[in-house]
Amino acid sequence: MGNVAHLLGRKLITACAMALLLSVVVFIVLRMIPSDPLAMMLPPSATQADIDIVRKELGLDGSIFQQYVVWLGHALQGDLGRSIFFRESVVSLLLTALPPTLELVLVSLVMALLISIPGGVLLYKLERRRGEMLADFVLVFLLSVPSFLWGIILIVVFGVIFPILPFMGRLDPEFSVNAITGFALIDTVLQGEWRAWLDAFSHLILPAFALALSFSPIIVRVLRSSLLDTATAQYVNVARLRGQSEWRVLVHHMFKNAALPTLTLIGVQFGFLFGGTLLIEVIFSFPGIGNLMVQAIKNFDLPLIQGVALVFCLMVLVVNFCIDGLYAVLDPRLRTS
Amino acid sequence: MMPPVLEFKDVSVSVKVGEAEVALLRKVSFEVGKGRILGLAGESGAGKSMIGRVISGLLPDNLRFSGGEVRFQGQTLTGRLARSFLGRRIAFIPQEPLSALNPVYTIRQQMYEHMKHQGLPRAQWESYCIERLLEVGLPDPADLLGRYPHQLSGGQCQRVLIAMAFSGDPELIVADEPTTALDVVTQAQIVRLLRGVQRKHGTAVILITHDLRLAAHVCDEVAVLYAGDVVERGPARSVLDAPSHPYSWSLKMATPSLEGEQYVLPTLAELMPGLKDMVSLVGCRFARRCPTRNAECESRLPRLEPVAEGHYVSCGGQCRTAAGSRKTEPHVLPAPKNALGRPLLELRDVSMTYHGQGRRRGQVFHALRPMSLSIAPGELVGVVGESGSGKSTLARLIVGLLEPTGGSVHVEGVARRGASGIQAAQMRETVQMVFQDPDSALNPRRTVEALVTQALEIRRDIPLAERGRIAQRLMGQVGMALDALGRFPSQLSGGQKQRVNIARALCVTPRLLVADEIVSGLDVSVQALIMNLLLELNRELGIAVVFISHDLSVIRYLCQRVLVMRHGEVVEQGETESVFGNPQHPYTRLLIGSVPPDDADAVWPAPDGSEEGIVSSEQVLECQS
Amino acid sequence: MTTTTMKYAGARSGLARLCSHPKVVIGGVMVLIFLLVALLAPWLAPNDPNAQDLLATLLPPAWSEGGLAQYPLGTDALGRCVLSRLIFGSRIALLVAVVAATGTMLLGTVLAILAGYLRGWFDRSISFIVMLWMAFPPVVFSMMLMVGLGTGVSNVILAVILVDWTRFYRVVRAEVLVARQREYVHAARLLGFSHLRIMLREVLPGVAPIVITLFSLEMGVAIVVEAILSFVGLSVPSNVVAWGVMLADGRDQIYQAGWNLMAPVVGIVFAVLAFNLLSDGLRVVLDPRLRKRGSE
Repeated sequence: MGNVAHLLGRKLITACAMALLLSVVVFIVLRMIPSDPLAMMLPPSATQADIDIVRKELGLDGSIFQQYVVWLGHALQGDLGRSIFFRESVVSLLLTALPPTLELVLVSLVMALLISIPGGVLLYKLERRRGEMLADFVLVFLLSVPSFLWGIILIVVFGVIFPILPFMGRLDPEFSVNAITGFALIDTVLQGEWRAWLDAFSHLILPAFALALSFSPIIVRVLRSSLLDTATAQYVNVARLRGQSEWRVLVHHMFKNAALPTLTLIGVQFGFLFGGTLLIEVIFSFPGIGNLMVQAIKNFDLPLIQGVALVFCLMVLVVNFCIDGLYAVLDPRLRTS
Repeated sequence: MMPPVLEFKDVSVSVKVGEAEVALLRKVSFEVGKGRILGLAGESGAGKSMIGRVISGLLPDNLRFSGGEVRFQGQTLTGRLARSFLGRRIAFIPQEPLSALNPVYTIRQQMYEHMKHQGLPRAQWESYCIERLLEVGLPDPADLLGRYPHQLSGGQCQRVLIAMAFSGDPELIVADEPTTALDVVTQAQIVRLLRGVQRKHGTAVILITHDLRLAAHVCDEVAVLYAGDVVERGPARSVLDAPSHPYSWSLKMATPSLEGEQYVLPTLAELMPGLKDMVSLVGCRFARRCPTRNAECESRLPRLEPVAEGHYVSCGGQCRTAAGSRKTEPHVLPAPKNALGRPLLELRDVSMTYHGQGRRRGQVFHALRPMSLSIAPGELVGVVGESGSGKSTLARLIVGLLEPTGGSVHVEGVARRGASGIQAAQMRETVQMVFQDPDSALNPRRTVEALVTQALEIRRDIPLAERGRIAQRLMGQVGMALDALGRFPSQLSGGQKQRVNIARALCVTPRLLVADEIVSGLDVSVQALIMNLLLELNRELGIAVVFISHDLSVIRYLCQRVLVMRHGEVVEQGETESVFGNPQHPYTRLLIGSVPPDDADAVWPAPDGSEEGIVSSEQVLECQS
Repeated sequence: MTTTTMKYAGARSGLARLCSHPKVVIGGVMVLIFLLVALLAPWLAPNDPNAQDLLATLLPPAWSEGGLAQYPLGTDALGRCVLSRLIFGSRIALLVAVVAATGTMLLGTVLAILAGYLRGWFDRSISFIVMLWMAFPPVVFSMMLMVGLGTGVSNVILAVILVDWTRFYRVVRAEVLVARQREYVHAARLLGFSHLRIMLREVLPGVAPIVITLFSLEMGVAIVVEAILSFVGLSVPSNVVAWGVMLADGRDQIYQAGWNLMAPVVGIVFAVLAFNLLSDGLRVVLDPRLRKRGSE
C-alpha cells in the first residue's frame, strides 16, 4: 500500500502546483480586457476620485505581476477580495453558494449512475439483437441535448404542462432552515424537519435530473464499449470454460475491468457536469456558484469572477484526484511496480 | 471393455455462408481412452479449436451441429450437458496464459472461485490450492497466491492454469495450444509438466497443436486435421515416422529438421481453403494442392481407411503408398565464401547501453554487450535467441535504426557515423530490413503497388511509368500474382503480406537484408515458401541475409553461420552445423534440447529434475553446468 | 488461433461504402437541411426576423386558436415572427459551427501531430498546457474568455477555438503515438524519408478518419457553446438573432407562450443531432479495422 500513498502524494503535489498555475491563468485572462474595466463596473455618475479609490482598492494600479503577487498574498490568507456588485467578501459569498451546488452535483451524479449503469449493461446485452439500432439512436438523441435544454424541457413538461414539481429556488418560502452545513438535505434532517426535507428534495429533482440526463448518455456509451472490449478478453472466455455462469462472468469478471476506462471518462467529463450547473442554476433560480458566476459576469465583477473560476478549477482538481485514487484502488497493476 | 472417455462419431458442424451451408467440421471421428493423450495437429483454420468448442458446448449462435454424435464416458454429450461439466469433469487449458487470468484479481481469488465452483468446503480451499501449486512445480505457493497475474511470467501463469485444470480430478482435459505463446525453453518445461501430472492423475487429455513433432513426442495418438477433415489418425510414432496422407507428409517435411540430412522444404501451391472456397469443394479438400491427386479426388468424399495397425488415412488408393516413401531433393547450403576483399558489413565492438531517466537514474540496462561481427557479400548468417536476448537490438543496429552507444558500424568499409548525405543514402540502399509484423509493417491505407515502390517516392529521376514496371518486376521476384498490386494489405493473407514486405525491401536492390522474425506466426507451409524465397534471392541476386529467429530448425535450414544470443550477449557462434551438432555453451545445449526431435524414438522432453520445482532457464542452467 | 470470419465485406468504392451506414445517411441529410435553411434563410423566412409588430405580441402558432397565418409559429413578446427568427438564427449557428470547428481542428491536429511524432520537450510542454486547460470546466472557461475578449460572434468563435482545441489534441495525439510505433514508419525512415514527409504521407492519412469524425462532433459542440453564450447575452449584439437569445427571451413568457421556447430547442437539438449522427456514422465507416479480407 506504500506504493499507493507515494503515488497519491505525488499527485497531490502536482495538483497544488496546478492550482497555483491556474490562478495565474485566470488572473491573466481576466486582465486581457481591452476597454477600461472600471468604466464598466462603476455607475456613470462616478467621479475621478471614486474611480481612483476603486482602482486602488482593486489593486489595478500596478503591473500585472505586482497585482498578481498582491492578490496571491491575500488569497493565501483566505481573502479573495470584495465583490463589487454585492459589496461582500468574495469568500463569504462562495461559502454560502458552494454547498447548494455541491448538493446538486452529487444528487445528479447519483441519479446519473442509477440510470447509466443499468443502461450501459442493457445496451451491451442488446449487441447485435433487434433493439440495438433503436437504443443506439435514442442514445445519440439524448447525447444531442445539452443540459440547459433539458432544464427548459423539464420545466415546460413537469412545471408548466403537468405542474407536479417545483422549479424555482431551493425551498418554498414557507420553509426556513438554519444553515448548519449548508446542505439542505442534511440540515433538514439534523433539525428534524421532515416536511422541509421533502420540499428541499423535490426542488432538487428537476435540476439534478436535467444534469443527469446530459451526463448519463456519455457514461452509457463508454460503459457499453468497455464491456464489449472486455467481453472479447481471453480471461472472460477462460472463466466460462471453467464453468462459471454468464451472470458471474458479467458481474464479477467483466464489470471491474470495464469500470476502469469508464471511471477515467467520468473524471474527464466531470468538467462538463460542473459547467452545466452554470445555466441550470440560472434557469432554476438555484442559489449556487454557477448562478453566482453568471451574475458576476453580467456585472463585470472581476474579483468575484476570479474567485468563482478558481473554485471551479479546484473542484475539478479535487475530483480528478479522487478518481486517481479510486483507480489505484481498483487496478492492481498501478499499485505494484 | 470400458468406453472411451471421449468419442467423436462422424461429427459435423456447419455454418451458413450466403445461401449455402458449409461444414466447418466434416464427419470428424476419433476417440480418447482413459489416461491417454490424443494430439489434434493442424494449421490455423483446420478446425482444431472448433472441436474444443464442441466439447465445451459453447458453440456460437450461427454455428449448427449438423451431424454425428459426441459421447462422453459412453453418454451422449449435448451442449447443455457439456456446459454443466465444465470445470468439474471436463477442463480446459488455454492458449495465452498471460491473458487468461483476470488482471484485477489475485491468484488466490481466482483459484478460490474455482474451488467454490467445484463444491469444495471453504475450510479446505487454502491447503488445497497450495497442494495443487506445489504439484505443478511452483515454489513458495503461499506467496504466489497473493500475487496478481501481471507479476508472474508466462510460464508461471500457465502452471497455475494447469493446476486449476487438474484440480477436482477431471476425466478429460482439453489443452488448446498451451505452449504456443511461450518461449522455446519454457515450452519444453510445460510439456514435461503436463505429461507428468497427466500420468499421475490418469486424466485423458486432448492436446491441440500446430507442431506435428511436438504432438508425436507427447501424445499417444495423433489426428491430423485439414480444413475440417481428419485426414490421418493413428499412434503418434507411426504418424510421425510414416505419414501416409500427402498433407501430413508435407506438414512434417515443411518443418526443417535439427539433425541429420536436410531436404528441400516442399512448397504447396495456394492455401488452406477458407469458408467461401469450401462451398464448392465436395470431395477431398486437399485435392487442389495435392501433388498426387487423381481424377476422383475432387468428386468423392474421402473416408478413413486403415493403412497399418490402428493407423487410418483418408485418401484415395495410390497416393498413400507413394507419399510415405517420397522425399524431396537433399538441401545443401552453399559453402560460406571466404572473406576475400572487403566485408559487406562490419560491427566493431558494438554495444548498446541504456541509462535510466528520471526516477530510474543510475540504473543501467545493457541491451547489447560489446560484440564484433563481419558479414561477407552473399553470406547467410543467423541470430538465434529468446525474447530479451538482444537480437532485435542487433538487427536495428545493423540496419541503422539505432546508433550504437559503443563501437562503430561499417558498411562496405565506410563508417556509418559521420557519413556524408550521399554516403548515408548509399548505405540505405545497401542494407535493408524486412520487419516482423506484417500488419504493422505495411501502411493499411496504401495499395500494394504503392507499398513496394515506396522507396521511389523520393527519387525524382524515375518517372511514373517506370514505377509500374518496377512494381511488376518486384512482384515477380517474390512470386506473387500481379493482380495483387491493386489490393490493400487488409485483403492479403499473412504469407502474402510478408512477401510484399520483402518486395518493398528489394526495391532499392540491397546487398544485405535483415529479416527479423519474419516467419514466426506464419503457418508452417507458408514458412517454407518464404524461406525458399530467401534462398532463391541469395542464389540469383547474391543478397546476403541476416536471419533472426527463435526457431533453431529454421536457422539451420537457412544459415551458414549462426550467433546464439542471451541477455544481450553472444554466447556462442560459428558454422551452423558445428554449433548445432556439437554445442559447447550450456545455454545452446538447453535450446537444442528444448526442440522436439525428428526421431520418434527419442525421449523428449528429457527429464531435467524440473518435477521438483525448477521454473526458469537460469535454474536449469545452474543445474546442468 | 484465427476464428473463422463469417462476414465478408469486399472492397467497395469510397462513396458507396460511406453511404452504407444509416447514421451517415440520416445525419448527412439532416446536415444538408440545416445548411440549406441557413444559406437560403432570406428566401425561406416569411417575415423579417427583427420586425416588431407590437399589436401582435405573443401570438400562438398558426394552427391553434388565435394564431395568424402570417406568423406560422406565432410571435414573441415584441411581436417578432418566431419562425423567421428560428430560420435566421440558424445562420449564426452555422457560421460559428463551421469556423470554430475548422479552427479547433487545425490548431489541435497540427500540434498533436508535431507533439506526438517529435516527442521530447515540445510534447511535454504542450501536454502540460493541455492538462492545465482541461482543469477548467469548458463553459466557465469560455465565459471567462468572453469577459477578457469582449462580446461578439467573432470572439465566441475565438473562445470556442481556444477552449476546445484540446479535444482534438488529445485524441489525435494518442493515434499518432500508436502510428509512430508502427513498423511502416520505421520502414519509411530506412528509405531515407524526412520527418516532415513521414508526418504528411504516413501519419496524417492514418489520423484523417478520426479528425473528420471529431470535426463533425465539434460542430455540434460549437453550436451548443454559442447558444449558451447568447443565452447569457455575451454573444450577438441585440439586433442579431441567435437561438440562445430566443431561449432567454422565451423564458420570461414560459407560462403564456411556451412555444417560443420550443422552437429554438427544436432547432438546437436538430442541428446538434445531425452532426452527432454524422460523426458517429463516419467513425464506424472510416475505421480501417472494419475492412475485412476479401475472398482469399
